[in-house]
Amino acid sequence: MTRKIRAAAAIALIGATALVAAGCSAGSDAAGGGDGGKVTMTFWHNSTTGPGKAYWASTVKAFEKKYPDVTIKTQAIQNEDLDGKLQTALNSGDGPDIFLQRGGGKMDAMIAAGQLMDISGSISADAKQSISAGTFAGYEKDGKTYAMPGAVLPEGIWYSKDLFQKAGIEGTPTTMDELNDAITKLKASGVDPVAVGAKDAWPAAHWYYNFALRECSQKTLEGAAKSLKFDNPCWTKAGEQLEDFNKTKPFNNGFLTTAAQQGAGSSAGLLANHKAAMELMGAWDPGVIASLTPDGKPLADLGWFPFPTIDGGKGDPKSMMGGVDGNSCSAKAPKKACTDFLNFIVQKDNQEAYYKAFNAIPVNKDAQAVVDADYLKTALAAYQEAPFVSQYLDTLYGQNVGNALNTSVVDLLAGKGDAKDIVSTTNQAASKG
Amino acid sequence: MTIDTSLGTTPTTGSDTAAGTSPTGSGTPLPAGRRSTRRIADWRKRVEIAVLAGPAVIVFVTFVILPVGMAAYYGFYKWQGYGPPTDFVGLQNYVIIFQDKAFQSVLMHNGFIVVMSLVLQGPIAIVLALLLNQKMHGRGLVRVLVFVPYVISEVIVGTGWSLMLQSNGAVNDLLQGMGLGGLRADWLSNPDIAIWTLLVIISWKYIGFAVILFLAGLQSIPEELFEAAAIDGASYWQIQRRITLPLLGPTIRIWAFLSIIGSLQLFDLVYIIWGQYIASTAGTSTMATYMVANGRTSGNFGFGSAVAVVMFIISLAVALIYQRFVLRRDTAGALTERKN
Repeated sequence: MTRKIRAAAAIALIGATALVAAGCSAGSDAAGGGDGGKVTMTFWHNSTTGPGKAYWASTVKAFEKKYPDVTIKTQAIQNEDLDGKLQTALNSGDGPDIFLQRGGGKMDAMIAAGQLMDISGSISADAKQSISAGTFAGYEKDGKTYAMPGAVLPEGIWYSKDLFQKAGIEGTPTTMDELNDAITKLKASGVDPVAVGAKDAWPAAHWYYNFALRECSQKTLEGAAKSLKFDNPCWTKAGEQLEDFNKTKPFNNGFLTTAAQQGAGSSAGLLANHKAAMELMGAWDPGVIASLTPDGKPLADLGWFPFPTIDGGKGDPKSMMGGVDGNSCSAKAPKKACTDFLNFIVQKDNQEAYYKAFNAIPVNKDAQAVVDADYLKTALAAYQEAPFVSQYLDTLYGQNVGNALNTSVVDLLAGKGDAKDIVSTTNQAASKG
Repeated sequence: MTIDTSLGTTPTTGSDTAAGTSPTGSGTPLPAGRRSTRRIADWRKRVEIAVLAGPAVIVFVTFVILPVGMAAYYGFYKWQGYGPPTDFVGLQNYVIIFQDKAFQSVLMHNGFIVVMSLVLQGPIAIVLALLLNQKMHGRGLVRVLVFVPYVISEVIVGTGWSLMLQSNGAVNDLLQGMGLGGLRADWLSNPDIAIWTLLVIISWKYIGFAVILFLAGLQSIPEELFEAAAIDGASYWQIQRRITLPLLGPTIRIWAFLSIIGSLQLFDLVYIIWGQYIASTAGTSTMATYMVANGRTSGNFGFGSAVAVVMFIISLAVALIYQRFVLRRDTAGALTERKN
């Protein structure tokens, strides 16, 4: 009797193992589908909360209504988890058909691996006409386009006008000295001057990027993307600038374990709840802040000013850090359906809805007319005036070097390293991958 | 009043006899008729072993042995994970690992956690186990409470503690409220104290497991020994010192073994509390978080595999040395050849 049970258990176990193995291989067949007839695609984006998530849900629904043969399965993935998950999924051949594309070295790695679809021939006339060629440029390589831009995200300092007024600060700081003055006044008024989500590393590193943008020439920044060598003295100088700034203790208490975007204790949450006065961030920040205010509405007294200028330095004082967010199709995706979707989401009405949902600047020039928040108008004007807009350095230099750069900046802020360590760690990381 | 410590091996005698009587085709000749039935029985046994062990062996080979082999293979390449690896670099990944200051500090952190877990948890767990072994009111409830943290998932423990220990969190507010505002600290984000915070959380989480093990060990000590010692006039502390501790030895050694291996492979709590990036800055990074940060998060799958191999070798070496020198007596006859 017991023997029979054992045999049955063994057979059950073998069966279960076989099922698990079969389950692993079945997944990849389900995705894709032919160009004719019914098509199912998967779509990964990084809007896990509030109106942003709702925007993608309703846009996908509208698309499916217009193209009844196409079904899109949408998955929202927390921003900090997205890049790692995406790389693993693409490597395993089981990646999404449509996904957020940040550009730079990260995109280069995907192109080199043959993971991205060349969409050059499929961009609609409407999209070509309404999106500036300069915006597309970030997604081009060797004359081919690999992603459809969705939003321009220039970087600057977001601040609370009320807190600035309470602290007695007039106007907005334009130089580092003025910024340091403002920080002293804000401290005296009893709020944290600057919130930074160092737990996610990149928000802290953005301070370094901007000092590097001021210290280094355009040629140096772009050259390093190819050589991945950081031997120009301007890299160290930028680190020293950050060290000096850090000595004034501008950041919120416990910034090392502060996240960037999750919850009221995050850096965006501190600004949204008037616990901190400033945050250096790209132009997606108003949307993130809006989702974290007590009433879930955009922060009424939010303002924006460009990163202050420094004395000396080889960078143009009007240069900006900035990214473009867009979407790519995977090489395996059904071409027509996927590019239809990319063209669909940059149409004027969808871009206007994008602005309303994310509080960010849409790429469609016609849709930019609806941007009425004055902080975004200021940011947009500065962006259009900037002689050089650099991609965020971690994206520009790829996942490996970018990550090392980010964490070494956090080390510096925490007092565990200095300007030279940023350069040496970053150089060393290049040897790991 | 000395107790022969050879009693300490009592629990293992069961397995000794099992190993001793296992049929291994002894030399005694058998009558011809019984020989063929014996042969059929042998085959039956083999088939049975194959059928019963087969699935487990397949799963073990597929999910343990194969990945270890693949990691060793990938570790010799620079590989971003796209397509098959092509850029063979020999031992270069290993050279970089051992030259990396971040890895050296990771080893320090792991070593610190291994030693301090033993030093902190061991004595406290023994005292708790002795206490909970006494007959008293509410013993069952206290036992459950001590064991609860071990049952809660690491993610929940990590999230809960990291919320409470934030700079503006409950712990600091509590200290303030108790008039101990001077003790407020950045428990998680100050690199000087973060690892101590981690140690406290680990102890809180895993001490229940040690206590349960020790309680089980205490149950197996024969009551007569205590009675005899008491009749001989031994005090409570003498009894604990001369009887309980020596007889609890095998349990303590096994617990220490599990604790060391767990400390070497610590990952989840650190990853939950300090996230993907800043564990090394906070001074709480472990070999496993180093592997994830420099392998997966950075997209260097070849380098990450090499780190995995190093971690495997270190854990294996520690485990073997411990088994050879510390657990030798406890496992004699079960895992090793019988000497006598």
